Amino acid sequence: MGKRFLKKELAFLRSGRVIVGVALVGIVVSCALFAPFLAPHDPEEQNLITTLLPPAWSAGGDPAYLLGTDSLGRDVLSRLLYGARVAMTVAVAASFGAMLIGSTLAHLAGYFGGKVDWLIGRAVDVWMSFPPVVLSLVLMTGLGAGISSVILAIVLVDWTRFCRVLRAEVLVTRRQDYVAAARLVGFSHWRTLTREILPATMPLLITLLSIEMGIAVIVEAILSFVGMSVGANQSAWGQMIADARQTLYESGWNLVLPMLAIFVTVLGFNLLGDGLRRTLDPRLLQAREL
Amino acid sequence: MTSSVLAAENLAVESRLHDGRRLPVLSGISFALEAGKVLGLVGESGAGKSMIGRAVAQLLPPGFSVAGGSLAFAGRDLVRMGVQARRQLLGREIAFIPQEPLSALNPVMTIGAQFGEHLARLGITSQMRRREEARAMLEAVHLPRAAELLRQFPHELSGGMCQRVLIAMAFASRPKLVIADEPTTALDATIQARIIGLMGEMRDAYGAALMFITHDLRLAAEFCDEIVVLYAGRAVEKGEARKLLSSPLHPYTRCLQLAVPSLSAPERELFTLPGEMPGLARLGALEGCRFAPRCPNVGEICRKEEPKLLAVAPSREAACFRTELTLAIETLNQAAPASPKRTAPLLRVDGLKKRYVSRRGLFGSTDVLAIDDVSFAVAENEFVGVVGESGSGKSTLAKLIIGLERPSSGRIELCGQDAFDRSEAARRRRIETAQMVFQDPQSALNPRRRAASIVTQVLEAAAPRLSLNERQQRAEELLAEVGLSAELGGRYPSQLSGGQKQRVNIARALCAAPKLLIADEIVSGLDVSVQAQLIALLHRLRRELSFALLFISHDLAVVRKLCERVLVMWRGKVVEEGLTAQVFATPQHPYTRELVGASNTGRIANSE
Amino acid sequence: MIVQLLGLFARRLLVAIPILLVVSALVFVVLRVLPVDPAAMSMPPNATKAEIEMKRQEMGLDRPLPEQYAIWLGQTLKGDLGTSIHFRRAVSSLIAETLPATIELAALAMLIAAVLGFAGGLLLFHLRGTLRGEAADLGSTVLMSAPDFLWGLMFILAFGVVWPLLPFTGRLASSFARPVHTGFLILDTLIEGRPDMFLDALKHMVLPATALGLAFSVPIMRVLRSSLYEIDHADYIRQARLRGVSEGRILLRHALKNAILPTLTLMGVQFGFLFGGTLLIEVIYSYPGLGNLMVDAVRNADLPIIQAVALAYAAVVLLINMIVDGLYLVLNPRLRTA
Repeated sequence: MGKRFLKKELAFLRSGRVIVGVALVGIVVSCALFAPFLAPHDPEEQNLITTLLPPAWSAGGDPAYLLGTDSLGRDVLSRLLYGARVAMTVAVAASFGAMLIGSTLAHLAGYFGGKVDWLIGRAVDVWMSFPPVVLSLVLMTGLGAGISSVILAIVLVDWTRFCRVLRAEVLVTRRQDYVAAARLVGFSHWRTLTREILPATMPLLITLLSIEMGIAVIVEAILSFVGMSVGANQSAWGQMIADARQTLYESGWNLVLPMLAIFVTVLGFNLLGDGLRRTLDPRLLQAREL
Repeated sequence: MTSSVLAAENLAVESRLHDGRRLPVLSGISFALEAGKVLGLVGESGAGKSMIGRAVAQLLPPGFSVAGGSLAFAGRDLVRMGVQARRQLLGREIAFIPQEPLSALNPVMTIGAQFGEHLARLGITSQMRRREEARAMLEAVHLPRAAELLRQFPHELSGGMCQRVLIAMAFASRPKLVIADEPTTALDATIQARIIGLMGEMRDAYGAALMFITHDLRLAAEFCDEIVVLYAGRAVEKGEARKLLSSPLHPYTRCLQLAVPSLSAPERELFTLPGEMPGLARLGALEGCRFAPRCPNVGEICRKEEPKLLAVAPSREAACFRTELTLAIETLNQAAPASPKRTAPLLRVDGLKKRYVSRRGLFGSTDVLAIDDVSFAVAENEFVGVVGESGSGKSTLAKLIIGLERPSSGRIELCGQDAFDRSEAARRRRIETAQMVFQDPQSALNPRRRAASIVTQVLEAAAPRLSLNERQQRAEELLAEVGLSAELGGRYPSQLSGGQKQRVNIARALCAAPKLLIADEIVSGLDVSVQAQLIALLHRLRRELSFALLFISHDLAVVRKLCERVLVMWRGKVVEEGLTAQVFATPQHPYTRELVGASNTGRIANSE
Repeated sequence: MIVQLLGLFARRLLVAIPILLVVSALVFVVLRVLPVDPAAMSMPPNATKAEIEMKRQEMGLDRPLPEQYAIWLGQTLKGDLGTSIHFRRAVSSLIAETLPATIELAALAMLIAAVLGFAGGLLLFHLRGTLRGEAADLGSTVLMSAPDFLWGLMFILAFGVVWPLLPFTGRLASSFARPVHTGFLILDTLIEGRPDMFLDALKHMVLPATALGLAFSVPIMRVLRSSLYEIDHADYIRQARLRGVSEGRILLRHALKNAILPTLTLMGVQFGFLFGGTLLIEVIYSYPGLGNLMVDAVRNADLPIIQAVALAYAAVVLLINMIVDGLYLVLNPRLRTA
């Protein structure tokens, strides 16, 4: 029975989307972790003789610079690898932070209802009246540039995503008789929340977490694009895009490559989230089992 | 043969699984329905009765298909008919009356828009004439203010009104065949009786043939001319309706008849069929008669060979080798339950009121009194029924007593102590004294817990340090108490049948050995044979464990079977109270009289 | 229905006012913990400490925070949003210049998002259960992984640089003198009676608006698809089939009317996000709107502008929500009569 149980719980690994998602995210994470070993050059090393080299395979390319160089002669591949470090750090830290705040408030609001729900609901209303980009810019102005500010800003902006979506799910679960039954057999509120409600909302929470990681990557790119993320002596994908915009006509590659990096990373997280939603969602699950 | 509106010959439906296996959902179904007649298809859920209606429309669920035999409408083959040709018939010559009237009308379209669309399809081009015709049809089904109704949306109508609208739409095209799939199951008893009457009236007026699909044998016997009884995808008995009910030939029909509690027949025990009807997945592997494992008259031959549906008497057919033994199946007369000794009341409710505030429009808000000054008491070991229709406040009453909601005013005492003391000690005390069994096991059982873990939830809260072994042991005791094998403890609710789920539901409430059990509609929505099993279970538990029961139900006959005292609720008030036998035999309040009258449909056939 | 709509708007306004108050207070507090000194920034670099201190007093920065907020609020209510430190102009006139440009761009983007979203949703639903449907579904996940500003950059590269088909900077070619009537260029060029100018203005909006619209159409199509899918199993759809109603009519007359409702709820949220998305798109396309004003202000720590622009964004988002709620009320009879 134990083996069968394991099989059922791990069924999501069989989904194609999850496999591709895990693979893409895995690649990006390894790039981030092993950047110092993988990068052929120092990402900040400037070489003003070899600026704006195209990738190695096209005419005029230099095999020493596999993906070419930027306007300051820095190696694009190395900068991409180091950029993955910034992106992944922000993605993981910010999304877990946002998840902790957002899902805690969602469970409190959905479970207790009444005044708690009202208060949290109004806070979400206030937050939602700010477009996320605008709010994060305002926060970044207050917090000052830097990677920890980026993380904090994303947490403070995106907790509402978790709160809004999860609250609805908690409400659905709360209405189930088994939650009332748990209270009637003597469960404390804490035990009811953790043993009866949380297991039901967990699939959605994990899915949201995966999608939020993609969103965090995008927001970090936006903030570094407008020059508010990492300092000038560090590589970030958004910064690379901003630099490449200046030499748009000379080298399209410089623009395309960091965009591709962002896209692939976000795609990985989205596929993972989509696949998890399909395999973990109990409603979809039931429909499939019938 | 030529006069048949709908004729099935050896009809078979099968379901194809993902792995390519084919399961026979229905096989060997034959019948002929003539104009102006009513054919009843009777069976418990999963017997395949709805598949026949769906096969007519070729709207079978995905993976299901007609595998053999023929189904002909007025001599035209429905199975091999093209999609377009069949769509021409639907809504014109073949009409359907649905099970859930409230959800069968489009919520964002007015009644007029939906009726108009239907009439336009029937070829009435002028909008004026469409409105006229719709109004005439709505008046034909006795709906008042028809013109106004056409401008309204479905959510502004009651379930009964929606069903009348749908009946009017069904008969608007003067169809040759009307198929009604459990058309009254979702409605209250008093409305149910009127809808059945209306369908009969419409059938007479328009001369259509009617196929009536239901789980209710008595209702079918009263309303239909001929009945086909289905069991596990097979027709087990077919015959003239009244005779079929008064002297069944197949043991399954007989058992069904004896399993239904009655409001007027002399007190006798309900027949409890062991086990359950085999599910779809097991149908393919069965040998011999499908009913044999549960049949009280089972013989050697039944397990080897499958009986065919054969004529036994004039216009009577049955698929059984031993029909002569069927009527010998009997139940014992029930001894009147010994009235428990009057002790100090266990539960005492005094002047209870519950007011809900509902916002209406912009500024106004109206109060709804869900419970209006209710007082009563329940003694130890006493079984008390609470009856009433939907909206009478009976479920709210249960929630108030158990503490899921707080009353607006009034007092509830459990064992002489105020139940609304908000202290933790009082909460503990209430948990130990009173427990509740919820109506819908689908929602009442956490789908992520195993049965053994669900039934011992009380221990998890009260004694979290209990070892797994001890907990497992208690779980097995409890499961045995409600008649489930220990092996089922390892299953998740989704792997249990409806009846098994409800047993787990009851077992959880019993774990704390409460003095008072509150049960909200715990047998409604279950098949009659499962319902009879649960009633028997409650009887047995009462003898073994001793507890009081507050049994909330809309089904008067079940309450009569189970409870010695009854409260009748109407619009939040208790309008009548007394000994069950007395209240139902000589109801005093006009509402009780109406309720008893509506519940007695089927009596005619029964008393023959 | 009109009475109910007015009632809804009145209630919405009543809610919007406290929200805007809280929003402004929040922005005020966040900006006051700033590490840079706006007074010092507004002075020439050789100013003395005493001069800066005088400036601080002049700007009211030495007073306690609540008092500063009260003063700011009082002035804002009088329509005075302060003076930009950097541009040395009234903030209100800066916003009056840029807000219409942003609204114009956002409106076109929303139109594109709605049209693409509905068309895509219907297509995804139509292809359900087939191999092509599975592929289209996967395609929508892929599309969703490209955020608006990546689309914007890609379009510049593709239709501005590689195939120079469309302009990608500003609102209007520099050869035209910009007419000023309403601030909405599309309207102003029409008022002037200059179809050539109108066309040029439209050309300038095509790339940024499509980038935004495309990015935000994907969630809309996915929700519409899944609502349609859910509704396809509803009793009333089955009953309509049993009445012989044709599949096309069932989809357009019965299912879509119901599926619009959850889609609309999502569109309210999405269009709020979309309006925020204009910020970066404007920067990328050097489009003189609220977004560029905001980013410049952030770079210059121009507090009066940041404050006012943030408030302007919030006000427009609340307006969008109000309109969507109104639409919801019109389309959902259950809300009207319940």
